[in-house]
Amino acid sequence: MFSHLLLLSIAAPLAAAAVISAGLPTRAAKFVATLGFALPALIALHVWYHFPAGVGANYEFIQSYHTGLQALGIKLTLGLNGIALPLYVLAGLVGLAAGLYAIQSGAERLKTYLALLLIMQAGLMGAFSSVDIFFFYFFHELALIPTFIMVGVWGGKDRGYAAMKMTIYLTVGAMLSLLGLIAIYYKSGAENFDLITLRQTLLEDGIIAGTQNHIFGLLMFGFGILVSLWPLHTWAPLGYGAAPSSAAMLHAGVLKKFGLYGLVQIAVPLLPLGATHWAMPLAWLAVVGNLIVIGLITIAQRDLKQMVGYSSVMHMGYAFLGVATLSAVGAGGVVLMMVAHGFSVALLFLLSTSVYHRTQTFDLTEMGGLVQKAPVLAAFFVTATMASIGLPGLANFWGELTIFVAAWKFSPLLTVLAVSGVVISAIYGLRAAARVFFGQPTEAFAKVIAEKPPVDLRWSEKIPALILLAALFFIGFWPKSLSVPLNAALEEVYPSKAPVITIVGQ
Amino acid sequence: MSAHCIALITLLAPLASAAIIALFLRRQGTLAATLSTLTAALIAAGGLSLAFTGARFDGTVDWLTLGNFTLLLGIKFDDLAALMISVVGVVGLCVHVFSLGYMHDDAAKARYFGGLSIFMFSMLGIVLADNLFMIFIFWELVGFSSYILINHYYERQSAADASKKAFIVNRVGDFGFLLGIIACYYAFGTVNLAEITDKVQGGTAVAAMIPLLLFCGAVGKSAQVPLHVWLPDAMEGPTPVSALIHAATMVAAGIFMLCRIEPLFAAAPVALTVVMWVGAITALYAALCAITQSDIKKVLAYSTLSQLGYMVAAFGLGRLDILPEGETGKLTFITAGAAAAMFHLTTHAFFKALMFLGSGSVIHGCHHEQDIFKMGGLAKKMKWTFITFTIGVLAIIGMPGLAGFFSKDAILYLAMENNTPVFIILAFSAVLTAFYMTRLWRLVFFGAPRSDAASHAHEGGFSLVLPLIVLAILSAAGGYTALYGNVFDAVWSQIPVAHGSAHTTILIVSVAVMVLGAGFAFLLYKPASTDALAAKSPGLFALLALLKESFDAAYNWYVAKVQQRFAMLVEFLERIFLSGLIIRGLAGVVGLVGLGARALHVGSLHAYVYWFLFGAAILWAFAGGWLN
Repeated sequence: MFSHLLLLSIAAPLAAAAVISAGLPTRAAKFVATLGFALPALIALHVWYHFPAGVGANYEFIQSYHTGLQALGIKLTLGLNGIALPLYVLAGLVGLAAGLYAIQSGAERLKTYLALLLIMQAGLMGAFSSVDIFFFYFFHELALIPTFIMVGVWGGKDRGYAAMKMTIYLTVGAMLSLLGLIAIYYKSGAENFDLITLRQTLLEDGIIAGTQNHIFGLLMFGFGILVSLWPLHTWAPLGYGAAPSSAAMLHAGVLKKFGLYGLVQIAVPLLPLGATHWAMPLAWLAVVGNLIVIGLITIAQRDLKQMVGYSSVMHMGYAFLGVATLSAVGAGGVVLMMVAHGFSVALLFLLSTSVYHRTQTFDLTEMGGLVQKAPVLAAFFVTATMASIGLPGLANFWGELTIFVAAWKFSPLLTVLAVSGVVISAIYGLRAAARVFFGQPTEAFAKVIAEKPPVDLRWSEKIPALILLAALFFIGFWPKSLSVPLNAALEEVYPSKAPVITIVGQ
Repeated sequence: MSAHCIALITLLAPLASAAIIALFLRRQGTLAATLSTLTAALIAAGGLSLAFTGARFDGTVDWLTLGNFTLLLGIKFDDLAALMISVVGVVGLCVHVFSLGYMHDDAAKARYFGGLSIFMFSMLGIVLADNLFMIFIFWELVGFSSYILINHYYERQSAADASKKAFIVNRVGDFGFLLGIIACYYAFGTVNLAEITDKVQGGTAVAAMIPLLLFCGAVGKSAQVPLHVWLPDAMEGPTPVSALIHAATMVAAGIFMLCRIEPLFAAAPVALTVVMWVGAITALYAALCAITQSDIKKVLAYSTLSQLGYMVAAFGLGRLDILPEGETGKLTFITAGAAAAMFHLTTHAFFKALMFLGSGSVIHGCHHEQDIFKMGGLAKKMKWTFITFTIGVLAIIGMPGLAGFFSKDAILYLAMENNTPVFIILAFSAVLTAFYMTRLWRLVFFGAPRSDAASHAHEGGFSLVLPLIVLAILSAAGGYTALYGNVFDAVWSQIPVAHGSAHTTILIVSVAVMVLGAGFAFLLYKPASTDALAAKSPGLFALLALLKESFDAAYNWYVAKVQQRFAMLVEFLERIFLSGLIIRGLAGVVGLVGLGARALHVGSLHAYVYWFLFGAAILWAFAGGWLN
C-alpha cells in the first residue's frame, strides 16, 4: 500500500471524479470530492515529511507500472527527486485549497465542476511525479483539457473568447514542448522515455551543439508559452480574468509551473549547450518583457482579477531569469519561487473572488473601505499581497533573493533591471490593497453596502485560505524544509561549474 | 542561562507575542496590550542585562543552501549592538507603557499592540544581525510593521496613502541596498560583517559603488533627501508609533547600519564624502521646512529629519586626526564619525521620543487637536507634560549639561576639524533647530488657550506621565558617557571630544548658536493664533513653505502624471502591438515555421490546426537535423 502512494494520489481524485459523475446526490458528491482532494494533499505531506534526509539526488518512492506501451519505450514510472518534491507538495496543497473553495462556491452544475477539477488535480499530481517524460506530458494534457472546459462553461465575462484563446495558445505551447521532448528522446538514442535513463545516456554521449540549440529553442518557446513568457503571455491575464476561481487557482498556481519545471528538470540539464545558446535572449525577454513591461502594465490595471493575472505573468520573469542563469543557485531559486508563487497567487485569486462576492465588482475604482466590514479578509489579503511582493517571512522572498544572487553573476545589468521589479510590485500590490480595503467606500460601493451589507470571511472560505497562508509562512520561516532535498538534487543535475559543459558527441 | 539563550529569547519573544495576538487575541484588546507590554518589558530586561553584564558573543546557523550560495542567520553582539539594544529596549518599553493610556479607548487595540510587537521583533533582528542579508530581511520587516502602524486609522484616506508611500519609497532605497549587498557578496565572497571587516582591513579593494549602494538603504530608511518625503506623511500613524518608529529607532536603523559597515566607507573616501553631503543637506533642508509647520507632529517630524541628517553627516565626516597641544604624536580616532553618529542617535532617541510622547500627551489632552496655533496655555494645565517637554526642548537645542549638548558638540567639533563648509551648515541648522523648537514650545505652552480643546486640556493618567519622566531623566543625563560604565567603550572611546582651545571655541559656538536661535524665536513669536513670521516677513515665509511643498508637489506629479500615465501608455502600446502581431493566430510561431500571413485570414480553428501540424513537421525536421 505505502509503496504505491504516488499512484494512489493520482488514482484517488480520478476515482472520486468517476464516482461523482456516476450520479451521486450533491451532498454525497461534496463529501467524495473532499476526500478526492484531501487524499493527495495528505499523501503529499506524508512524502514530504518522510522524504529521506540528506538525499534528493535520486528518485525516491519510485515505482514502475506496465502500460502495454513498453515497445515504444513508455512505462509509467512514478517517483520524486528533490526538484519534483516541492512541486508535488504544491500541487497537493493548492489542489486541496482550490477543491475546498470550489465545494463551497455554489457553482451551477456543481458536480460536473467538481469532477473536472478532480481530473485536473489527478493530472497535476501525475505530472510532477512522473519520471517518464511521456507521462509527464500526458498528465499535463490531462490537467489542461478540463481547464479549457471550466473556463468556457463556468467562466466570467468574455469566457468564450478567453477559452478559445487559452486553448490555442496552450495547445501550441504544449505541442512545441512535445516536439522538443520527442526530439531529445530520439536524439539521445536512449531506449526509453525514462528521465533517469535519458540523463545517463546523455551524460555518456551528449547531443551535438547545433541540434541542442534547435531542441532547446523549441522547448524554451513551447514551455515559455505555457508559463506566459513575454510576448507569448496574452492568454494569461485574459484567461485568468475569465476563469472560475478554483480553476484559476489550480492553473496559475500549479499547472503553469509545468513549463518551468520542464525547463529546470529536463531542458537545461539535458541540453546544456542549447541552454547556453539561448540563455541571453531568454533573460532579456524575461527581464524587459515580463518584469518591466508587464510590471508597468500591472500598475495600469483597474480590474482586480486582471491585476492578479498580470502580476502572475510579471513574477514569471524572475523565474525565467533564474532559469537563464543556468546555475544551481538560479535553478534552486526558480523552484522556491515556483512553489511560493503557486501558493500566493492561488491565495490572491481566492481572496479576489471573496472580495468580489462582497463588492459585486472587480473594478478597483468602485470599492474602498472594505476593511471596516471584513477585517479578516483584509488581513489575509494584505498578507497575500506582502507574500507576492516578496516580504521576508513569507515564502516568496527566498526565491526572489536567490534568483537575484544568481543573476548578478550572470549579468549585473540585468540584475539591476530585475531588482527594480521589487519597487514595481510594491506599487501595484499596495495600490490594490489600499483601493479595495482602506479609506472610505466609493459611492458605488456604498450603494452595494446599503443593499447587501458585506460580511467577513466565512469559515468555508477561511479554511482553504488558511491552508495556503500556513504554507507561505512555513516555507517563509523554514526554507530548509524544501531546500535540503532540492539542493541535493541540484548538485546532481547542475554540477557546480556553471554553465554545464558536457561532451559534444559527433 | 547563557547569553546566547537570553538573546534568542529577547529576539523571539515579540514574535511569539505578535503571533499569539494575531491568532487568539484579536478581540481581546486589553489582554493583547498587556501581553505586548510585558514582552516589551522582557525585551528591555533582556537587552539591558546583556548589555550591562558585558556579555559579548556571536553565533551563526545556516538557513538556506542552494548550490554554492549559503544564507546564514546569526547574532553579533558587540558594544555597538549592546548600545542599540539598550536604546530600543528602553524607548520601546516607554512607548508601550504610554500606549496603554494613549490607545486605551481605541477599537483596534489588539491590532495596534500586535503591530508594536512585530516591530520590536523586526528591530531587534536588525540590531542583532551579523550579516547583511539578515539585516536586509529584518529591514524589510520593519518597513512592513511601519506600514501597518501608519495605516492604523485605515478609514482615513490620508493614512492609507501615507502608509503606501512609506513602503514604496523605502522599497526604492532597498532596491539599491539589495544590489549593494549582492555586489558585496561577490566582491568579498561573504556578507558577514566581521569577515567583510577583515577582508577590507586585509587590503581587499573596495569599489565606491558598493558602499554607495548600501547607503541607498539608509537614505530610504533614515529618510534622507531625496527619499525623505515619506516621513512627514508617516505622522498619520498614532503618536506613540511616531515616537518609537519614526523618531527613535527605525529611522535611526539607517545610521546603525552605516556604522555596521563603517570599514567599507573608510576604504572608499569618495562614498564617505557623498554620505556627508547628503546628511548635511538633509539637516539644513529639514530644519528650514520645520519653521513653517503648524502641526505639532509635523514640526517634530521635520526636526527628526534634520537630526537624522546630523547623524548621517557625522558619519560621513569620518575619522579624526588631531595633534593634541603639547604632544608630538598624532592622535587618531578611526571611527570618530560613526561614534559621534551613534552618540547622537542615543541622545536623540531619548529626547525625541520624549517630545513625541509629550506631543502625544498634548494631543490626548486637547482631544486630538494638533495645530499649535490652536493650543496655548498648556503649561499650567499639563504640568508634567510641560516640565518634561521643556527638558526635551533644552536637550535638543543643546543647553549645556543636557544630553543633546554633548552629542551635538561632538559632531560640531568633528565638522570643525574636518570640513569647514559642513561645519557652517550644521551650525546654522543648529540655530534653526533652536529657533523652531522654541517657537513650538512657546506657542503650545504659553499665553492663553486659543481654542476650546486647549482650554479644557488636562493631564493624562499615570501611564502617560511615567514614560515622560523616565525619558526626561535620560534626556537630561544621557550625555554623560561615564554613567554607562565601560560597557559601550568600543563606541564611546571614539567620540571626538574637544580639548584646550578647540574646546573653548566649540563651547562658544554651541552656546552662541543656541542663544541666537532661541532668542530670536522668543522675540518673534508671541503666543498668538497666527504665524508671526508669516505676518512680518511673508516673502520669507512663502519661500520656506515653497521649499517644503516643492518636493511634495514633485512627488505627487510623478505619481499621478508620470508613473500612472507611463504605465497606461505601455499597456496601450502592448495591446496594439501584441494583439496585432501575436493574437492573430500565433504569428510568432507561424512566422517561425514559414507560413504566409494569408493563413491568418482563414479564420477557422481547423485551418490553424492543419497549418500548425505542417509547421510542426518542418520544425521537427529541423530538430532532427535533417535540414542541417
